[in-house]
Amino acid sequence: MVDDDAIVRRFIGELLHSHGYDVHLAEDGETALRQVGEVRPALVLLDLVMPYKDGFEVLNALKHDPATREIPVMILSVRDREEDVVKGLNLGADDYMRKPFSTQELLARVRKILDRQG
Amino acid sequence: MHAFLVTLILFTGAVLAGLALLITANKVAREAVERLDRRRRLLLEPAVFRYIHETGHKSLPDYLPKPLSRRDRRIAEAVLLDAARLVRGQARDRVTSAFEALGSVRGSIVGLRSQRWWKRADSAERLGLMGSQTAVEPLVTALADPEGEVRIRAARALGLVRGSTSIRPLVGALADPNRWSAIRVAEILIGVGPEAVGELLAAFGTLPVAGRVSTLDILGRIKSLEAVPLLKNTLKDQHPDLRARAAYALGLIGDPDFAEALAAALRDVEWPVRATAARALGRIGGRAAIPALCEALKDRQWWVRANAGEALRLLGPEGRDALISMLDADDTYARHQAVAQLEEGHIIDDYVADLGSPDEERSAAAVRFLEKVIALQRHERLTQQSVEHAQEGVRRTLHKILNRPQPEGGT
Repeated sequence: MVDDDAIVRRFIGELLHSHGYDVHLAEDGETALRQVGEVRPALVLLDLVMPYKDGFEVLNALKHDPATREIPVMILSVRDREEDVVKGLNLGADDYMRKPFSTQELLARVRKILDRQG
Repeated sequence: MHAFLVTLILFTGAVLAGLALLITANKVAREAVERLDRRRRLLLEPAVFRYIHETGHKSLPDYLPKPLSRRDRRIAEAVLLDAARLVRGQARDRVTSAFEALGSVRGSIVGLRSQRWWKRADSAERLGLMGSQTAVEPLVTALADPEGEVRIRAARALGLVRGSTSIRPLVGALADPNRWSAIRVAEILIGVGPEAVGELLAAFGTLPVAGRVSTLDILGRIKSLEAVPLLKNTLKDQHPDLRARAAYALGLIGDPDFAEALAAALRDVEWPVRATAARALGRIGGRAAIPALCEALKDRQWWVRANAGEALRLLGPEGRDALISMLDADDTYARHQAVAQLEEGHIIDDYVADLGSPDEERSAAAVRFLEKVIALQRHERLTQQSVEHAQEGVRRTLHKILNRPQPEGGT
């Protein structure tokens, strides 16, 4: 779960943890890329607006690295412009959700992506 | 005298030292409280989040330590305010229930009666985030607050609370443009979205002209299909501002089926209505309106001609063909507008490129087209291309056409 907002990280971390998921939190893009290399997560939940390295850059880096290319990415962002959604999906994101979000919907989408991964 | 001065200096020094000590002590105490709050928050926050994420019947106080201290209540409220900005749907409803169970809604309603306006404004904003229907009536009362900032925050809060009882007074605010910024109220209602449409339609006939203009704008921006019959009817209203705004709103909704109604508005007696209808036709892409838009190129008002020309340009190949055919129109205004739009859409550049085509028919058609453009005194870009174009053959042909004597009365 990558988000520069500590409250969002803790909120979603607690939500996923309470549904049995093992969650790793990262506060910026650099940390996220390092952690992804170390823990090889089943899914990356990614914010777009972050300092230093934004979500698109992180997504781009993940999708260009053969070691992380297959890891599904779901974008979760306040940015709701059509071009952001299209850019995210074109860069290889598997899903895009807007904040504020429904927790039930988030869980359903996470479950669906992970089921697809088998 | 000397002793007096020494005493004065010592006294002043003591007062300043006392003040510095007081300020430092206050800062240390505040930081200590903040540190304790942060630590306490880390303990309480998971419990609040757990409550939001679960779906049972237990209320938030069941998840928190008992008895609940004032500090814990304040911290829980801060966590809930953060969560309120983050979630929607069922989780959002649970956040609202938690505010009610903690007594936060009641507390902020009391805050709306504070003597200090900034406290009233803050309370109004909080009530918006809390989202409780209990707050609707006090917030409606706050719409009459003497302080503008309190009124606008109360209006925003009503927009967040939603439900017909909260939307009605916001729509009512459109009736009083002297007291309200119509733009800000409109922004709030646009933010409410389709839920506001019913109240807007119901209130439309009761509002003054300025309020009805704002309402049409809001309905267009919400892109309400429910509002289409009203918008079409308003195209025949006796007030030109309303007819123009209705045309604009239909353009924002953007259904090509509006072409017939908007084409009729191109014959309105008032030019702002004709200009707005032309612009709307460009937005909706209604090909059925091409003949009417071509007629509008002959309008005596520049805005109508410019919008009609732009609309034709935006209509794709059929609009482009219509603009090209208008180069032969008997009306000078229409010919000039057509050539301006063809230039804007780089159609003229395409014909210039055709001058170098090995297909003789094609290059001859390009010459005929460019002669018409030159006859309309549209020289500047072509002269530039006759010098700068990459192909020598194109430069030479252009130069030749530009230097041909023009028939009199061409423009």
